Amino acid sequence: MLKRLVKHKLAILGALIVLAFLVAAAFAPYLAPRDPLKSSLREARKPPSPTYPLGTDHLGRDLLSRIIFGTRVSLLMAVISVGIGLAVGTPVGALSGFYGGATDMVTQRIVDIMMAFPGILLAIVVVAVLGPGLWNAMLAVGISFVPTYVRVVRGAVLELREREFVEASRATGASGLHIIVRHIMPNCIAPIIVLSTLQMASAILWAAGLGYLGLGAQPPTPEWGAMLGEGYNYGMIRVAPHVTIFPGVAIALAVLGFNLLGDGLRDALDPRLRGRL
Amino acid sequence: MRKLGILLAVAVGLMGLAQTPKLGGELVIAFGTDPESLDPNKITSAPAGMVLTHVAETLLTMDENLEIRPLLAQSWKLAEDGRSLTLYLRKGVKFHDGTPFNAQAVKDNLERFRKATYAFLLFPRVQTIDIVDEYTVVLNLDMPFAPIVSHLTHNFVALVSPKQIAEVGDKEIMDPVGTGPFKFDKWVRGEYVRIVKNPDYWGDKPYLDAVKFLVVPSDATRLVLLETGQVHAIMRVPPLEAPRLRGVKGVEVVKLPSVRTIYIAFHYQRAPFTDVRVRQAFNYAVDKEAIVQTILGGVGGVSDAPIMPLIFGYAKQNPYPYDPEMAKKLLADAGYAKGLKIKFYHPTGRYMMDAAIAQAVQAYLRDVGVEVELITMEWAAYLAFLRKPLEESGFDMFMLGWGCVTLDADYGLFPLFHTSEWAPKGSNRSFYSHPTVDALLEQARVTVNYEARKALYADLIAFLWQDAGWLFLHYEEQINAQRTTAKGLIHHPREYILAHKAWLDR
Repeated sequence: MLKRLVKHKLAILGALIVLAFLVAAAFAPYLAPRDPLKSSLREARKPPSPTYPLGTDHLGRDLLSRIIFGTRVSLLMAVISVGIGLAVGTPVGALSGFYGGATDMVTQRIVDIMMAFPGILLAIVVVAVLGPGLWNAMLAVGISFVPTYVRVVRGAVLELREREFVEASRATGASGLHIIVRHIMPNCIAPIIVLSTLQMASAILWAAGLGYLGLGAQPPTPEWGAMLGEGYNYGMIRVAPHVTIFPGVAIALAVLGFNLLGDGLRDALDPRLRGRL
Repeated sequence: MRKLGILLAVAVGLMGLAQTPKLGGELVIAFGTDPESLDPNKITSAPAGMVLTHVAETLLTMDENLEIRPLLAQSWKLAEDGRSLTLYLRKGVKFHDGTPFNAQAVKDNLERFRKATYAFLLFPRVQTIDIVDEYTVVLNLDMPFAPIVSHLTHNFVALVSPKQIAEVGDKEIMDPVGTGPFKFDKWVRGEYVRIVKNPDYWGDKPYLDAVKFLVVPSDATRLVLLETGQVHAIMRVPPLEAPRLRGVKGVEVVKLPSVRTIYIAFHYQRAPFTDVRVRQAFNYAVDKEAIVQTILGGVGGVSDAPIMPLIFGYAKQNPYPYDPEMAKKLLADAGYAKGLKIKFYHPTGRYMMDAAIAQAVQAYLRDVGVEVELITMEWAAYLAFLRKPLEESGFDMFMLGWGCVTLDADYGLFPLFHTSEWAPKGSNRSFYSHPTVDALLEQARVTVNYEARKALYADLIAFLWQDAGWLFLHYEEQINAQRTTAKGLIHHPREYILAHKAWLDR
């Protein structure tokens, strides 16, 4: 399996990108040249230079330091919102798929309703109700991930529950819960891992989208989407384009990294899944 | 600089007159905020005033050079003792519905206006309104009210047809029927207001067939609309874009003064801002000059009084210098050596770079150990939030602007600092209250003598400055832009673009 992953050159690239961001997040205080919150207005909107490698923003804050610290915010948002989707979606999907019947009918119609909304719209509605902020944005993105997990896990369970080893276990008198936990879930791990990696990419993108709209992380928190929004909204896109461009590059790189890694993992873990996620 | 701005505004106005105007066409003006109402009794903002002033006229007016001029009243006379104001009305004027304009129409309008809570601040001393004859009205006051003439130029005191007043009852007017050069046509909320030529206008008839006020909240989008020629004029060009825009062919950038002061008010009745040292410390902590130069690109000036220099009663103070050490010391003296936490409410997209300025203030206060939580709201919700009574008020400090459109200190100070104007009734939303201030404000209202009144405001402003009721920020200037094909537009310091005499060179 690992061999198959290594063979996949793009996946390696993706893994390296993700690793780089993980390192940046973990060691942000040591890597960032300056305090990401320290502003000095008289140094505002400076283009990239040796003093400020990526230039400064509208308040004279060091853009490089803000992007490095922003990695923490973006990854944290991605992990937590994927975690919410996973924690809620997986059991619901498993139960729905395993028991079928009325349970399945009801949960799947609820999922249908949730899926009828574009995910980002659903997230905006949740934030509008709860109020803007980092934690609410995580919750919002997490909630909008739930239906995808329900569907994917249910699909896998539908197939697995008909297999011989499940029938064998059932024949020995094992309870439904026992079968799900002991026999079915271990076989679902591959699609869940792949899905989670790909969802990390979406989470980063959506978090940035919410931040751009002013619904995510609140100032002065360095968050890529909010930084990009500031560059655009404060009329700097033509005067000081670096304020908009560099956070945008960071978002694009992170999304690319997780997507490539996810694709590679899918091929490596289960070739049969190719093209299905 | 200010003079230059005014000259420029006039120059743009005059350029239209140099050529022979062409008739017809629809002019489109893009602005950022949808009017909250078009009822003279309900409106509270400059964007609404701008639309209304084309449709419904006032008794007196203030031109772009800030001179008071006759409009529906041809002349006026204030009695020696200041207790009565006689208005001689223009003859032969008709409202858009054909109703004649006369003394009864003025009385009906002013009586209706007097019932509005907000309008009350313009007419606190008017006791009776007498009709002398068809075209003469007398306002009787119980005591002198010095700013009354300038208050009558306020665009919110616009007159609508008495027939409409009778029909509308207590409801809100959505389609004002006035006497202006344009008639109300259509208002699609959040999109545009359209007005059409009034062919029976009493004065010089407008050249344009119609004017459309397009609501475009995004600064960047308004800019693109102008550059691509889809609109003829836009308001509030982002200051950083102005230099580039000056080089665009077919576009003219107009910089002119505004009468608006931007401030951050402290909750005067609640700790920590009950301590004057904390209020002063905040004033020392923020580098206002850097905000004006860097964020506003020099489009404005650092406040050196709670009203801006063009306004009667202005008395120059020394701005609190940027001195973080002094701020820290004052905070320590007040018992906040370990810092404090503050909730700061601010608007987004209402004033020039408002959110960016709020962020800058947050960063400066962080440097002196104050942790500031920024909270922003949509404009209407924001105003409603700041109009709650003292017990329900939830802010520590907030950012707001006040356009002193009557050009008289009374309108710039009384509603914001007098105890009787506390929210939810009035506009004193920070619950400022001080007996010295109340006394001086009241005295200045009844003092008719020009110099004596000026001296009272000088004392008042000096006191307010020391007491630091606000974090004094800056006053704005305006940058508008227009296509060179739009002639005769007047850019007004009240933050209006006026199309009364405009025409399109097609």
